[in-house]
Amino acid sequence: MSRLQVEHLYKVFGRQPEEAVRRLEAGADRDELREDGVTPAVIDASFEVSEGEVFVVMGLSGSGKSTLLRTLNGLLPPTAGRVLFDGQDLTALNDTELRRVRSHSISMVFQHFALFPHRSVLENAAYGLEVQGVARAERERRAGEALEMTGLGGWEKSWPDQLSGGMQQRVGLARALATEAPVLLMDEAFSALDPLIRREMQQQLVDLQKTLHKTIVFITHDPHEAVRLGNRIAVMRDGRIVQNGTVEELLLQPADDYVASFMEDVDRGRALAGVSAGSAGTPGSTLGKESADA
Amino acid sequence: MPRLQLGDWIDSAVTYLRDHFAWLFDIITNVVSGMYDGLDAVLGAPAPLLLAGILAVVALWLRGPTAAVLTFAGFALIDSIQQWDQAMATLSLVLVATVITIVLAIPLGIWAARNRTVSAVLRPVLDFMQTMPAFVYLIPGIFFFGVGQVPGVISCIVFAIPPGVRMTELGIRQVDGDLIEAAEAFGTTSRNTLLRVQLPLALPTIMAGINQVIMLGLSMVVTAGMVGGGGLGASVFTAISQVNIGLGFEGGISVVILAMYLDRMTSSLGTRVSPLGRRATAALTSVRGASIWNYRPQTGIAVVGVVVLALVAGGMNIFGGSADTNTAAAGKNVGDGRSVNIGYIPWDEGIASSFLWKEALEERGYQPKLSQYDVGALYTGLSAGKLDFQTDAWLPTTHQSYWDKYKDSLDDLGSWYGPTSLELSVPSYVKGVDSLADLKGQGGKFKGRIIGIEPGAGMMKALNDKVLKQYGLEGEYQVTTGSTASMLAQLDRSLKAKEPVVVTLWSPHWAYSKYDLKKLKDPMGAWGAGDGLHTLTHKGFAAKEPQVAQWLKDFKLTEPQLSSLEAAIQDAGQNHEQDGVRAWLKKNPGLIDKIAPVKKPAAAAKG
Repeated sequence: MSRLQVEHLYKVFGRQPEEAVRRLEAGADRDELREDGVTPAVIDASFEVSEGEVFVVMGLSGSGKSTLLRTLNGLLPPTAGRVLFDGQDLTALNDTELRRVRSHSISMVFQHFALFPHRSVLENAAYGLEVQGVARAERERRAGEALEMTGLGGWEKSWPDQLSGGMQQRVGLARALATEAPVLLMDEAFSALDPLIRREMQQQLVDLQKTLHKTIVFITHDPHEAVRLGNRIAVMRDGRIVQNGTVEELLLQPADDYVASFMEDVDRGRALAGVSAGSAGTPGSTLGKESADA
Repeated sequence: MPRLQLGDWIDSAVTYLRDHFAWLFDIITNVVSGMYDGLDAVLGAPAPLLLAGILAVVALWLRGPTAAVLTFAGFALIDSIQQWDQAMATLSLVLVATVITIVLAIPLGIWAARNRTVSAVLRPVLDFMQTMPAFVYLIPGIFFFGVGQVPGVISCIVFAIPPGVRMTELGIRQVDGDLIEAAEAFGTTSRNTLLRVQLPLALPTIMAGINQVIMLGLSMVVTAGMVGGGGLGASVFTAISQVNIGLGFEGGISVVILAMYLDRMTSSLGTRVSPLGRRATAALTSVRGASIWNYRPQTGIAVVGVVVLALVAGGMNIFGGSADTNTAAAGKNVGDGRSVNIGYIPWDEGIASSFLWKEALEERGYQPKLSQYDVGALYTGLSAGKLDFQTDAWLPTTHQSYWDKYKDSLDDLGSWYGPTSLELSVPSYVKGVDSLADLKGQGGKFKGRIIGIEPGAGMMKALNDKVLKQYGLEGEYQVTTGSTASMLAQLDRSLKAKEPVVVTLWSPHWAYSKYDLKKLKDPMGAWGAGDGLHTLTHKGFAAKEPQVAQWLKDFKLTEPQLSSLEAAIQDAGQNHEQDGVRAWLKKNPGLIDKIAPVKKPAAAAKG
């Protein structure tokens, strides 16, 4: 079954957002709403992410992909539509229940790392567990394991500002992994790194995913990264998902010129071969037929 | 434009508050003065050098050996210039004000950081508090909180809260939004986001705010000294009122030492207590390497050092014994330990007569408490019943405006010295000017200026309204306004330069014994009859302490008595006024019995 399910989701910033949603549903254009001072960031998004899948949302900046990601864990409440997590409607939860979902079930990794500068590497990695209320010894053990997993064993006592960008993001990843949440939201997690390090991190994520089988929603503006990591890719433009499909579908049957130009640079041979080689999970499979729980 | 009666509204608001919320102000007064008394008792208890040692250990912990040595030297200097007790009083005042300010400012700052409406409302209020001149609320403050330390503490708080609130708000607002989002993304409650992310990261900024709070509080102590706040403020205020530059500097340098100590310690405390600061220190040590100059004791060691010194101090207090004995001779203990509050203006005749009465009342078994004020504050305190009496009322002319305002709540026990006189004076080397009439046509010589004093003084009014008119000096002379201290400073300067100068002066005044001056004659009697020095009490004092009131009523001093008493006090030096009084009493035996006679012991025994 699907872990995450998004149904007709709208997110509108500005005055009278519900009114704007009604106009959008009636077929109004995004630009004409903008003239009235409201910004529709996500328009009528629907998709499903199944267990153990890496779902990539790709688009240019301003296309609404980061906003979409933040509606998935309720950091931004959607204006209309539903987000179902294991069949549970997140938009119907109260603050306490929502916080519980975030601390136990959905972790997040940030573009600019967002490490706490006043905490050591170990304390950063243990942060989510601290929020869960796990006792100190236990959380430090589990945070240590998470750091070990991301290749940062031995750096526990260091401070974030002593680490390079790539190492800092490994701490960010370890912080997200330590809570043992089944779902990871990754917001342009590798975009701030230089290209070599980025490749290294992408490979590490692929390797980790082979053993961890997390359900990952990964935001990026880089088609190479999307192709490397994603089982399926949704392409966003001006707040709408213009195509949602496998790498092959995007390469071979692009929905429009926008998608086609996005995929232009991608090395087709490697991409089509690499899908099955790189990613764990369900290359090209249909949704909801596989489970990585076992 | 129609005249808006804003001032009247404020007047009635103050009266309303005073009449209906007295209980509230009493609670505040009790809490604040309780805190102050407690802290002052603690700081005042150890021997000065021991406390200097304790403060040095704190400096060692926070900043290392250099700071510790400088701290000890600085506080030893304060002790050696005999400003120690005042410095401790000031330190207590500032610390109490700081604690209260922090307790108010940090929650307000947090609230403002989390709520834009609160921030928008607070901003003009804080501007108001920071820029409204302190005297505007200090004098009404006496109505609410009485005289003494409390209005001083309150004025420090009012003045110091704005940076505390602003820096807290700024510190929290400038925490990276990404970090707040990260905390939320991991399910942190907003309270925990505040405690675990925002406050720790804002701490350096908040500590900078607290540092500002302390510095602004210290800058208010002189003002507080003018309304009976005591401490170094009173030292400085006394010194500048008497143009005693040396003493003023001694008080001033003590304020500076306190300020530098508190500034350095609080800014280091910021790095010592905040995780970010510890991180920075660790980085620094690894760069500089370990050296004796970078040595910082562990917190534990520092605490042990402080406790050991404090125990030594406590031990010395216990075994040193206290010298507090009742000075009242047997059979003359009329006062039975009842307290009497005396207020005085730091003018020579006020100091002399007040300390004489302090000595006399102690001899009679009372516990007189002396505190010094600015004139306005003195009258306000007396009329509010926070003070029992003062001996330095220049009536009927000079203090007429105060008397008219407060006479309903005051009793005049009559004049103990007089007549005084008001006059214009010139240095005696100015030839050809002997009377007010001679000033006419000489404007060029004096640059057309008469050096005046405070614009509110009764004598300034008499000068402008009567004297200049009657002698036809209007237009030719401008009366400059300033203060008594600035007038005396100008006089001193002109005398040094042998320049002609004409100043407003009065007798008795020490300037006549210090400088060679000539009082200008007043053949037309424009100044009017001279003032007497009156003793004023709060209404009802005579009923409470009839014996003291009777003594005060009968009190008289002659000119040689007063001038020799003032000279004796001057010789004894600041803070040793009472020693001066005692030395003078030795030369005038029996005077106490004359001014404060006690009935025959037999009669007292029967009664």
